[in-house]
Amino acid sequence: MTFGLRRSVVVTAVVAVAIATVIAVFTWAGTPVTAKTFLNATYIGLTLGALWAMYATGLVVVYTTTGVFNFAQGAIGVFGAFFYWELQMNRGWHPILALFVVVFLFAPLLGICLDVLVMRRLRTAPLVVQLMVTVGMMVFLISLVGTIWNANTPRWVNAFFKDSGGIDLGPAQLTWHRFIVFVTAVVVAVILRFLLYKTRIGTAMRAVVDNRELAALNGARPNMVSSLAWAIGSMLGALGGILIASELEFNPSNLNDIVIIAFAAAAFGALRNLPLAVVGALLLGLLRQHTETWLNFGTNFSKAHLGIAPLLLFAVVVALPQARLEVGRVVSNLRRRERYTNWWEGLIGCGALMLCAVMFSGGWLNFGIWDPEAWGGPALNSANAAMALALIGLSLVPLIGWAGQVNFAPLAFAGFGAFVYLKLAGDTGNGYWIPLVGLICAPLGALVALPAARLRGLYLALMSMAFAQGMALIFFPHEWVIPRIGVGRQFSHIELFGITFDDRRGYFLLMMSVFVIGVYGLVLLRNSRYGRRWMAMHGSQAAAATVGIPVVQTKVVVYAVSASLAGMAGVFWATVAGNLSAGQDFDLLNGFQIVLLIAAAGVSIPMAGIFLVFTPLFTGLSHRLEDTGNVGFLVEILDQLVVLGPGLLAIGMVFNPRGAIFEMGRGFSPILPWRSDARAEIAAENAQKREPEIGELGLERPFTPEEVIAIDRRLGILDEVVPKEGYGAARS
Amino acid sequence: MALLEAEQVVMRFGGVVALDNASVDVDPGEVTGLIGPNGAGKTTLFNVVTGLLPPTSGTVKFDGVDITRAGVSRRSQMGIARTFQKLEAFNTLSAFDNVRVAVEKNHRAKWKHQRVNDVAHGMLGKVGLDDVADVTVGTLPTGSARLVELARALACRPRVLLLDEPSSGLNEEETTAIGQLLLGLVADKDNDLAVLLVEHDMSFVMGVCARIHVLDFGKIIAVGTPIEVQADTAVRAAYLGSDEFRGAYVGVDE
Repeated sequence: MTFGLRRSVVVTAVVAVAIATVIAVFTWAGTPVTAKTFLNATYIGLTLGALWAMYATGLVVVYTTTGVFNFAQGAIGVFGAFFYWELQMNRGWHPILALFVVVFLFAPLLGICLDVLVMRRLRTAPLVVQLMVTVGMMVFLISLVGTIWNANTPRWVNAFFKDSGGIDLGPAQLTWHRFIVFVTAVVVAVILRFLLYKTRIGTAMRAVVDNRELAALNGARPNMVSSLAWAIGSMLGALGGILIASELEFNPSNLNDIVIIAFAAAAFGALRNLPLAVVGALLLGLLRQHTETWLNFGTNFSKAHLGIAPLLLFAVVVALPQARLEVGRVVSNLRRRERYTNWWEGLIGCGALMLCAVMFSGGWLNFGIWDPEAWGGPALNSANAAMALALIGLSLVPLIGWAGQVNFAPLAFAGFGAFVYLKLAGDTGNGYWIPLVGLICAPLGALVALPAARLRGLYLALMSMAFAQGMALIFFPHEWVIPRIGVGRQFSHIELFGITFDDRRGYFLLMMSVFVIGVYGLVLLRNSRYGRRWMAMHGSQAAAATVGIPVVQTKVVVYAVSASLAGMAGVFWATVAGNLSAGQDFDLLNGFQIVLLIAAAGVSIPMAGIFLVFTPLFTGLSHRLEDTGNVGFLVEILDQLVVLGPGLLAIGMVFNPRGAIFEMGRGFSPILPWRSDARAEIAAENAQKREPEIGELGLERPFTPEEVIAIDRRLGILDEVVPKEGYGAARS
Repeated sequence: MALLEAEQVVMRFGGVVALDNASVDVDPGEVTGLIGPNGAGKTTLFNVVTGLLPPTSGTVKFDGVDITRAGVSRRSQMGIARTFQKLEAFNTLSAFDNVRVAVEKNHRAKWKHQRVNDVAHGMLGKVGLDDVADVTVGTLPTGSARLVELARALACRPRVLLLDEPSSGLNEEETTAIGQLLLGLVADKDNDLAVLLVEHDMSFVMGVCARIHVLDFGKIIAVGTPIEVQADTAVRAAYLGSDEFRGAYVGVDE
């Protein structure tokens, strides 16, 4: 081990400081620099940093002990904060009592429930499933908070000791609340460090993540350890949420955004190092507060100071050393058959889809729900919004479905595509520019992937999140990017083949055609050497490299392809809506919903994109029902489904990691009279039954005879004994 | 000069020295064995040679060129192929596609579909997996998946083939067949192939290897023909142990 800093770290730091200096020179706000203003900013910065440090330590503790990166950490904090608000502000409990109930009773219980019900099952799951489930949990918890406590009602939480002034430290004053925050964060970090590295249970916690079976044989109890980690993580989340609630505007998404900052801080400690994560958080807090105090970015970049966390995450990712290709993490839990349709069945399916589209847009397929008078309105509006999302969803199929890499920024790429289109063909709406839009978006995708592609997949996911956040805060709000127009459309209608698609029916048919062509194009791509190569890389990166596939380059290429597709889809997204708003349309949660929905639908199958109609269609349906003024409870259910559905569906991937469309294909294809092969497959599968998890066997009680057979079969030493069916048949 | 040479390779993981000045050389036209008790560093050496692990010190030379700093896929393109002790098949693809990916990457780009398919089928045929070509590899039994990995490695047109315990999960008959296949491949002068074999099945190793390197605690303790190695006192000590407990571990899977 050398003590010198790696060159990449030094270079990154120098570049970052240089850029920061230039920005500072150009945006100096002219606030008088006095000891008082400086210390004030420092105190507030340290307080914010300390709060983020609590979130970050929660992340690190859970990650080091369970191997699951908890995207829901911020959401747990939101839940805790709202629960505290309910008890303390709404019901008038004493603050200390409320704090105790939330942090020491509710939060650990929530953490243990999460662990037992969901997270524990993620241990051996592929990264994509881990990410989808934890992000799904985050979206679900946030929406749940919004349903229980109406998110639009203004609320606030009192700071602790808010009437008692504070401590005078130099010319500036530190309030008691902030003092408490800072002390708590430091104490918590020290205690956790001690717990993990100096106690028996801490050693067990760290051992379990490396080798669960071995740790169990040595007396650690893996399940207890993982529950403990989740309880601690959840307590830290709730504590951070309550303490930060009085510092920020009190609403769910605002409180949840903190988690990106916590990701950056955790990444600063390479996701495993507690002290470094705390340092990262404090650094971020100071940077954020000092930028806000001294710099003025003008109206176009009014939120730029919030973009510091994504930028730090970016810098950290650039500076991290190349990850080794991991061996022994091959995707498992496969069924014998990956595909349930053949090419002509697919063709019939697409034809049927087109037919439905024509009938729907013609008004013949309105199920008696929509008033023919109002036909051109809500129904087609929802359908068009749905199709635009489905097109964006298609862009994720090669990336998430085949290559196994995650992108949480489909809307950022789509928005960038819309922006490029606006600049290229804004006034005419000439549709022939769309392929060029795709070409221009590809390098952007490559650029986002480049620094993270050489690291583990989790970093690429974090990077895409930082990118989405950065674009939403810095790029899209700029007046030049998508100029606001008082009345009318920012994006004019697409004109293609001499037709201007200015009515909703035309748009719907156009987009459905593009969707069907896209699905077929993707199927061709999957069956090409490139598709195979990407799927091979997903199967085993180490093995892919040893057959000559350059893994980093391949990841970058897939990302570029995905960004390009998303950019082109973005053109439709923008022209259908007519207007995009930086504040709403690019909200991170919207992007999450697309990713979660398509993942839960079964992202390796292009046709799964059609499942993205879920949100807009249900919303439209609920609006429509509301207008007609009947079946109120149905409206209620639909509304809740729209809000809670994506998160819930994604959480469901714990039990069905491959997605809904596979289950549907599995259920549907045996019914078809000509699919005797599918029936045989299902029969063979059922015969095999569910095998117990081999790695866990024998730890708590002796093997049963069935388990011995299962182990033998897994080891491949029972083949001669097994009759010619099931596993044996494949060999002979 | 040997085709593949690992010279004075040291690999440290924190305080653990997995490889301690280990040197191995592999010649074309024969199967070279690499044996040793569990934890001796055999798989680590494979990982260093294929580029999955950067060695702490030492060099790896291929055909006289220093490739110590070359990337994994670069080495593969130069002609180093391997299989893995713990399965690393492309599980979501069929057996045929597993091999086809390798054929597509390692043969001429302008090859027609049909020719790629023929070569891939040929490779599957060599290891006796014609029947399961269309079965998703993740659902095959371990032994068959291991053979898929072998076919995939062969499809890379290797000049050096590194095999990490190819016989585990196979029955005696299949092991013999693999042995015959390897001997046939290296005997074919057109292939000009060198094989480095890690194996616990001693009768298999002694049967196919022309030369054997013995690794113990990261050090090469003996090199020679099977007969020489079997007679070597250091090897006997390593395997049977100077105290009686060590012997119990011989032949147990890692």
